[in-house]
Order: sequence, then C-alpha cells, then structure tokens
Amino acid sequence: MSLVNFTSREITCKIVYYGPGRSGKTSNLQYIYGRVPEARRGRMVSLATKGDRTLFFDFLPLELGTISGFVTRFQLYTVPGQVYYNATRKLVLQGADGIVFVADSQARRFDDNLESLQNLQENLLAHGVDIRELPLVYQYNKQDLPADLILGPDELDDALNFRAVQSFGADCLSGNGVFETLRGISELVLKRLAAGSRVA
Amino acid sequence: MRAVEPWVEGPLAAFLDESAARLTLLMTSAGQVLAQHGFTRAFDVMSAAALGAGIMASTDELARLMDAPPFRALAHQGVQHGLFLSGFDTPQGRWIGLVVFGPESSLGLVQLFFQRLVADLAKQAPTEAPSNRVLGSDFEDELNASLRTLFGQ
Repeated sequence: MSLVNFTSREITCKIVYYGPGRSGKTSNLQYIYGRVPEARRGRMVSLATKGDRTLFFDFLPLELGTISGFVTRFQLYTVPGQVYYNATRKLVLQGADGIVFVADSQARRFDDNLESLQNLQENLLAHGVDIRELPLVYQYNKQDLPADLILGPDELDDALNFRAVQSFGADCLSGNGVFETLRGISELVLKRLAAGSRVA
Repeated sequence: MRAVEPWVEGPLAAFLDESAARLTLLMTSAGQVLAQHGFTRAFDVMSAAALGAGIMASTDELARLMDAPPFRALAHQGVQHGLFLSGFDTPQGRWIGLVVFGPESSLGLVQLFFQRLVADLAKQAPTEAPSNRVLGSDFEDELNASLRTLFGQ
C-alpha cells in the first residue's frame, strides 16, 4: 500500500514486475538502472542464484521527483519466475500498489504466460486483493525476435489482457518499451493515489 | 531521526538513547519505511527495508509451514556490527523493527529496550483511524510534468 508522509511530504509506492521465468523481469530493472541518472536511483539489490536466476527478488528504488510538493519514490521489485519459487513470489506481492505483467512473446511460451497470470491472480487473492482492482499493465517482451517465433501484441492482448488495460510491446535488451511500460504503471498508481482512495 | 507519524518519535528517541543502536528502522510488513535513525541516504533506507521485510516474511512463512506461531525475532552477529530484526503488532498493524548495533551495545541491551519500544508504541498509537487527506488538485498536472522529465518524453 502506498505510503504518504504528510509531515516530510514523501510518497512511496511499490510496483512488482511479475511473469514467467526468463520473460525479462530482471532485464527491465537492469535497463532502468542503467539509464536513470544516479541521483534518481539507489543501488539495485538482486537476490539471485549463482546462475543469475532470481531467487527472492530484485529491488530498485527510484525517485520520480517532486510532485505537488511531495518527493515521490517508487520501489520496483521483480519476483522469481520459476514455478518452484511460488512461496517467495507470494511474499513479494504483499503490499503491491501496481503490477507489470511481463509476458514472453514467444509462441512456445504461451502456456507459461497463462499459467503465470493465473498464479498472479491466486497469489493476490491470498493477500485479499482482487486482480481487477489493482493497477495493472502488460508488457509483451521479446518482440524483436523473428516474427514466425512470436505472437504479436494484438494476439497476446486477446489471450491475456482480460481487463483491456494498457499493454506495451517491448524488447528489454535494447530498451524498447521499457520506459513506456514504467510510465504507464506509474501513471495508473499515482492517479489512483491522487483520487484519494489509498492514502495512508 | 525521521518518522512518518510524529507519535513514533518519542518512543524511538528513548530507545535510541538507551540501546545505543547505530541504525534503526521501523517498517510495515510490506517494507514501507515508517521511521529511521542513522541512515544518510534515502535509497539505502529503502533497500534495507526491502531486505528486512523479505527476511521477516520468509521466517513467518517457515513458521507457518511448521504450524508454529511467527518467530518473534532473529539476530545476526557480525565482526563489527550486530543485527536484530523483530516483527510486532501495533494498533496500526504489523510492523517490523531492524536494529544495527556496534560494540558499544549488545544484543541483550537491544532486545531489552526493543521490548520497551514496542510497549511504548502501543501506548502512544492513536486510536482513531488516520485521516484520508487527499493530494492537491494540481497533483495530476505536476505528475505528468515529472513523468516527462524522468522519462524524457
């Protein structure tokens, strides 16, 4: 849940990148870390295995600037995508203000995307949160791969985007779509906060 | 020392005086910072809170798997610093405390005064629900300007 400190005039929001294993969640954060000025971001914390697979979470604190007199900070988290790590995935979701669902556009990963989306819904429900009420955007990553290997954004929208929310085609390694995705979820989370529904 | 809610400051100041802790962080179970002492960079506070909340969430889950009540606290003793981490209930929900101490203090001292901090916070916590103060009407315009600045669009 967003934290608004009216005394020190600070806002802190938690955004979680969710999706199947190897879909590009950590790559999103790595790209953002590399491109955002040092004064606007903290150290990126990665709790990963020796093979660089996310074990618990990646974490990147980001400062958006001063909005309406409030210093606005985002905490970006990823979850481990591998099925085996569902217990830790559920823990990271706790208190999330917004979700970026990072889908793998490869046709052969279609079932993995569906399974991960169902898992997201189940894990949010375990925290008493209805997925239909939480700010959510989709990112269809790996759109740079050959066309015969991937599904296009429209096809993925038809299959996954049941709420018809914003979606972004992306290629995290080159950075296409990464900031567009972050901007999309930032707007949703902060506009929801501005509406006064979740002020702590 | 900085605290989101002014009523936290008194009990926390007393804890810092008595325990001689070097760093102290109070946070929600989701890792949102509620009060801190000793950190110099806001980003370091957020990283420490994320990691502390992750550790507590993991141990709570391990306890649940063992059909046991949540662990009250855990401690790590390093060469130069010790670390004490504890979850506790307040009228405002479940909070977590993270305390780093040096050789001028001890785990026993920190534990002792942390218990007093928890009791003082319970006494000082306001009983009425927090006011639902909404942000200014210019918030959305400034939000769009900030997003353009950060993302260069």
